[in-house]
Amino acid sequence: MKLLLIDNNDSFTYNLYHLIIRNTGFDTCVLPYDKLPMCDNLEYDAFVISPGPGHPSEYIYYSEIFNTGKPVFGVCLGMQIINLHFAGEVTRLEGCRHGVTLPAEYNKEFIDVAVYNSLYCSLVPDVFEIISKSVNVPMWIKHKEQPIAGVQFHPESFLTKNGGRILTDAFSSIGII
Amino acid sequence: MHSAVLESFEKKDFLNFVRAVSGIWETDALFSGAGYTGENVSVCYILPISSYAVTGRESVSGLRRFINSDDKETYGFLAYDLGLSLKDVHTDKKLMTDPGLFKKYAAYARHCGQRLTIESDCPVILEKALIAYETYSPTPPNMSAADVKCNMTRQDYVGKVKEVIEYIRDGHTYQLNLSMMFEAETYEKPYDIWAHTAEMNPAPFYALFKFNEGHILSTSPERFIKVSDRKVLSQPIKGTLRFKEYYPELEQKLTESVKESAELSMIVDLIRNDISETCEVGSVEVLEHKSVMCVDDLLQMYSSVCGTLKDGKDVLDLLFSAFPGGSVTGCPKKRSMELIDSLEPHSRGVYC
Repeated sequence: MKLLLIDNNDSFTYNLYHLIIRNTGFDTCVLPYDKLPMCDNLEYDAFVISPGPGHPSEYIYYSEIFNTGKPVFGVCLGMQIINLHFAGEVTRLEGCRHGVTLPAEYNKEFIDVAVYNSLYCSLVPDVFEIISKSVNVPMWIKHKEQPIAGVQFHPESFLTKNGGRILTDAFSSIGII
Repeated sequence: MHSAVLESFEKKDFLNFVRAVSGIWETDALFSGAGYTGENVSVCYILPISSYAVTGRESVSGLRRFINSDDKETYGFLAYDLGLSLKDVHTDKKLMTDPGLFKKYAAYARHCGQRLTIESDCPVILEKALIAYETYSPTPPNMSAADVKCNMTRQDYVGKVKEVIEYIRDGHTYQLNLSMMFEAETYEKPYDIWAHTAEMNPAPFYALFKFNEGHILSTSPERFIKVSDRKVLSQPIKGTLRFKEYYPELEQKLTESVKESAELSMIVDLIRNDISETCEVGSVEVLEHKSVMCVDDLLQMYSSVCGTLKDGKDVLDLLFSAFPGGSVTGCPKKRSMELIDSLEPHSRGVYC
């Protein structure tokens, strides 16, 4: 399995890179977002979209990735990019929160996950199943037919307990593992 | 190699040694003030014999050659201006011509415990330095409050903070360090001001460095990066509590604050990222999260982020990839630096 991790000029990308390699051992390349149009997508078996600053509408190079039909996993902004691509909405979150943990329900238990959250997926289209929510904020979405999923929280943060297990669960749900 | 040793040598004596030697040769120094565990070495660098100017990203290999050209210790600085080009942040402001400079010296005086050891290939330098110190009588500089000017009014600054909060709400940054610049005129000698400040307000990381026609005087409680035996240590500081009188429960008050803890956690995640690019997978960990230290009348939280350099990477690869330190930029780093450039009226020069 060869993974491409696309870095939206974020300051957590290499945390995600370490988490992926440590838990899967997959051959993983990091590519700056600006270089995405020059990238040969055929070289990779799956794509991971990093967190990053700003609104997902700023990031216009991703449609090619979705057109490959290969698995795509997004974190934070990455999930918002996925949501927007399928005509969802992303807006400001009242009372934004950064660098804190929240309990999110997953598999009938609550897990403490780290959030860096100014914006959120305010409308998630029907093509997605919402796997986990924290109050009204979708925390984990998965496409019902395509191998695409995203998390709003940060499994790569040192504040998230069992980030490795969450990542491997998410990867196996879309056939990366 | 010739050497001389002075015993029963206190930190105060070291500061006077720096001032005395500065009177005869160009002298740079690092000083660790009293009261900080783990930091007890100070070094006086005497008479530069060679130097290397850093101009940009491409300087890393030249700097590596300069450092490895002999076994003499190298001392220098990198400016925030270099960080702008390392992170591809565009600016229209006038920047420093050489955003970094490193030097090697004819003599080194190292202070540890109560011992000063001076070493040089040239015995005359040792002799002259000792005479300069023995005949030196310090006079305290006149540190009365000069007319200090700031480039932003309180109202300007508060306005900029409000703009930053809007950028946070739009997800462009999660945390941002907004600085202002103060200016004052003085006729005192730079090393007198430096030594006096170091004595009056001890901190673990004091630096004095001659650069072009001026001197850089720097004081900080914060360790950006230390590497020894390929083990990396970074100790970001965030989260502050001011007190009038110290009592132990204050520390708990600070560590239990959700806002102060979040501020530190964000930068810990950023530093983990910044060292991870050059560290082995699985080696990066956070130790002693939310430790507390006391600096003057402030309690400061900090954490230790550790890792091991991966094969093929050295301390310069790490430094150039992690620079500038996240606690003076914000998170995510690149967008925060772009916002800093548009919000601050000044260019930061060496400040970082």
